[in-house]
Amino acid sequence: MMRFENVKFKYPTNSDFELIIDNFEPKGCTAILGENASGKTTLGKLAAGILRPSSGAVYYHGEDIAGWKLGKIGRHVGYLFQEPSRQIFAPKPLEEIALPLELRGMPKEEARELALALLQEFELENIVNSTTFTLSRGEKQRLAIAAAMVMKPRFFVLDEPTTGLDKPRRQILAKTLKKMQADGMEILIISHDRDFVEIMGADIRRMEGGRLLDEKA
Amino acid sequence: MKKPDPRVIFALVFATSTFAILIRENLAQMAGLFALVLACAALLRVPLKQLFGRLKRLLQILLFVAILRSFFTPSGLVLLAAWGLPLLTTGGLSMGILVALRLLVFIVGASIFTIYPTRALIQAMVQLRLPYEIAYMVSIGIRFVPQMAQELRDSLIALQLRGIVIEELKLKKRISLYSYLLLPTIVGGLRHAKELAMSMEMRAFRAKPSRTSFFSLKLSSKDVILLILIAVAAIAGGFIL
Ligand SMILES: Nc1ncnc2c1ncn2[C@@H]1O[C@H](COP(=O)(O)OP(=O)(O)O)[C@@H](O)[C@H]1O
Ligand SMILES: [Mg+2]
Repeated sequence: MMRFENVKFKYPTNSDFELIIDNFEPKGCTAILGENASGKTTLGKLAAGILRPSSGAVYYHGEDIAGWKLGKIGRHVGYLFQEPSRQIFAPKPLEEIALPLELRGMPKEEARELALALLQEFELENIVNSTTFTLSRGEKQRLAIAAAMVMKPRFFVLDEPTTGLDKPRRQILAKTLKKMQADGMEILIISHDRDFVEIMGADIRRMEGGRLLDEKA
Repeated sequence: MKKPDPRVIFALVFATSTFAILIRENLAQMAGLFALVLACAALLRVPLKQLFGRLKRLLQILLFVAILRSFFTPSGLVLLAAWGLPLLTTGGLSMGILVALRLLVFIVGASIFTIYPTRALIQAMVQLRLPYEIAYMVSIGIRFVPQMAQELRDSLIALQLRGIVIEELKLKKRISLYSYLLLPTIVGGLRHAKELAMSMEMRAFRAKPSRTSFFSLKLSSKDVILLILIAVAAIAGGFIL
């Protein structure tokens, strides 16, 4: 579904770091492990089109996404930011999920119902009426994941999804992700939580200095 | 080149911002003022390319404001019309550009402060007789601007990744969306400021009635010349208006 081909990337303001991915085709559930600053987040952002390769290309179902608007990519690819508060823009959890649906033309009532159902699925019904800015990190994390799920992405990039989650929450997250995987979604997990990616049964790849190592870690 | 005393910049920005408010109709004057601020910023090595890169979306909104103004205050020659209604007029367009340039004079002027370390700015404000707490807050505010811009950009990315093509939205929705996205940015900024204020209280920030400074700023003769120049230019400008 997703394929990197001869991708090179450099931040315009940082000449010290270069990401080079010759060939990478994550399948099923893939995990990227690696030290801090090895380029994991950069790889994830390239997969979601937030960053665009300096050369080479990222293909989605065989189509180069270089010319795709972010909004179009977002209809296929979900992305969980490393810092969940960064992606929560609505003051109320319900709006966070319902607003994008409304903007895409869904009737208000329907969007709210769908949002409520999703909040329940992620055990967030008790915070429906709180303010998003004061949620705990774990709650923000779950809200962000729920919000991304509502678009039913076919490919989901999660950047450090277990930071701030206790063990039972991690297990719930693993269960949810496995269920979505069973429904045909592919997952790219960026993490240094080895236990979690092992629970997920992920295909583990290591990253070092902007490169993916060949051997399975 | 040695940087001028921050107080010189205060005077400069104060003068240019005042003129930006005073110039109401004359596009040529506003363009000249903008060119002047831009030249000062370039001379002082403000990373302008980076600034405008960061401001890309804001510039788009400004252009949009220019078109709106052109629509609501039509005058002069009609450049574009539909069903007999003027959509774009020379008068309206120049008014719109004027508004956009005015904002840019403020922004580029304020950006000059970023070339100074925070404590030089605080010290300048203290020596201008501003209370230390206020001076501190203002300088923190200046530091927050790039961070808030980054957060706004992240919110926009997050929203687009939920399948929203912003360019496809109707005008009204797009405007309400931008104002909607500003909210978390501002709330975030305020929370950050509050946390800072609390940690300052905890470090007994206000415990002493007066505070002494380890270093103080002195106006050099060059600074004085610059200040006189700014004053003369401002007075001359006042006569032109
Ligand atoms: N916006 C940016 N501009 C410049 N350099 C960046 C930026 N984001 C990350 N980097 C640099 O790129 C390298 C890889 O970062 P990142 O992909 O975030 O690593 P990881 O997620 O593995 O910790 C780091 O050296 C980091 O400092
Ligand atoms: Mg990272």
